[in-house]
Amino acid sequence: MDEVLDEVVPTEDLKKYEKVYHEQLNSGNITQKAQFEYAWCLVRSKYSGDIRKGLILLEELFHTDKEESKRDYLYYLAIGSARIKEYNKALQYVRGFLQIEPGNHQVHDLEVVIKRRMEKEGLVGVALTGGIVLGIAGVVGLAFALAKK
Amino acid sequence: MDPDILSTFKILIIGESAVGKTSLLLRFINDNFDPNVSATIGVDFKTKKVTVDGNTVKLAIWDTAGVERFRTLTPSYYRNAQGAIVVYDVSRRETFNKMQLWLDELDTYTTKRNIVKMIVGNKIDQDTREVTKEEGIKFARRHAALYIESSAKTRDNVECAFEELVQKIIQTPGLWEASTNQAGTISVSQNDSSDGYLPKCGGWSCSLA
Repeated sequence: MDEVLDEVVPTEDLKKYEKVYHEQLNSGNITQKAQFEYAWCLVRSKYSGDIRKGLILLEELFHTDKEESKRDYLYYLAIGSARIKEYNKALQYVRGFLQIEPGNHQVHDLEVVIKRRMEKEGLVGVALTGGIVLGIAGVVGLAFALAKK
Repeated sequence: MDPDILSTFKILIIGESAVGKTSLLLRFINDNFDPNVSATIGVDFKTKKVTVDGNTVKLAIWDTAGVERFRTLTPSYYRNAQGAIVVYDVSRRETFNKMQLWLDELDTYTTKRNIVKMIVGNKIDQDTREVTKEEGIKFARRHAALYIESSAKTRDNVECAFEELVQKIIQTPGLWEASTNQAGTISVSQNDSSDGYLPKCGGWSCSLA
């Protein structure tokens, strides 16, 4: 299961979708498809700079695209955040997702992997604190808060 | 690597949306069935150790999303796969009609020319069958693929589909390499008896192609 956080996008894929995105950027009309495909490659890069860029693109899509696509963005926001070790943020996305789709096994598995990594990297205390803060902020409203942003 | 493991095989599960790819995988991995399993996002990954003919291998299984949205992106996972399970729904002809496209795509993106293909007609528990077994067999034969009909819901042939695929991969020379500690020798392992029952591969349901 750890593979989903470890596998790396082939360079040619990243270049291919980067090119499409930049062509559209230059022509002033970026499709959500192109943005998503590029972001999907970026968050699977081995460079944290790429991943951060991917996260920005995904966040933008999350706020602008239609409702049924939001799950995809939330999932990859979680993946990207976890890859750059922003585990608390990743868990927020995971919990936001599970608010909407409580039975999603793919996301439950991701949550397990993230928590295991936090434990391994000695971040459990931080996770707990994060959890409490999040609890106070109101976990329930997270998905909606994200949507409204 | 675990000294008892002969090798790790990369397996793909591909096919149209909602044919039961994830359900087959979850039945195989966890032996459960969720009628409301959600659509896979991008790709999902699971592993499982299996013992076939006394040889234990680790399966690294990539379960791909069938929806159009991910269609351009998932083929990058086809690289280096040794086996592919290509699934359709026997109760929806349109999913069978798309099989040619999936196999073409597999041929285009796979890096191993002798990749073993297992065609699976899933959902045989449904009353409303639209694709006959004969059609499935014929199609599989034409593509030199293994063939099986299954139901993730009732667990019929699910284990069998994976095991036959593994068996065929093991028998295909040059498709895989033994892990270093077993170099060159395919030993019949002493076998823990955790898998000590025979797969339910009886009669008509087994691969015929």
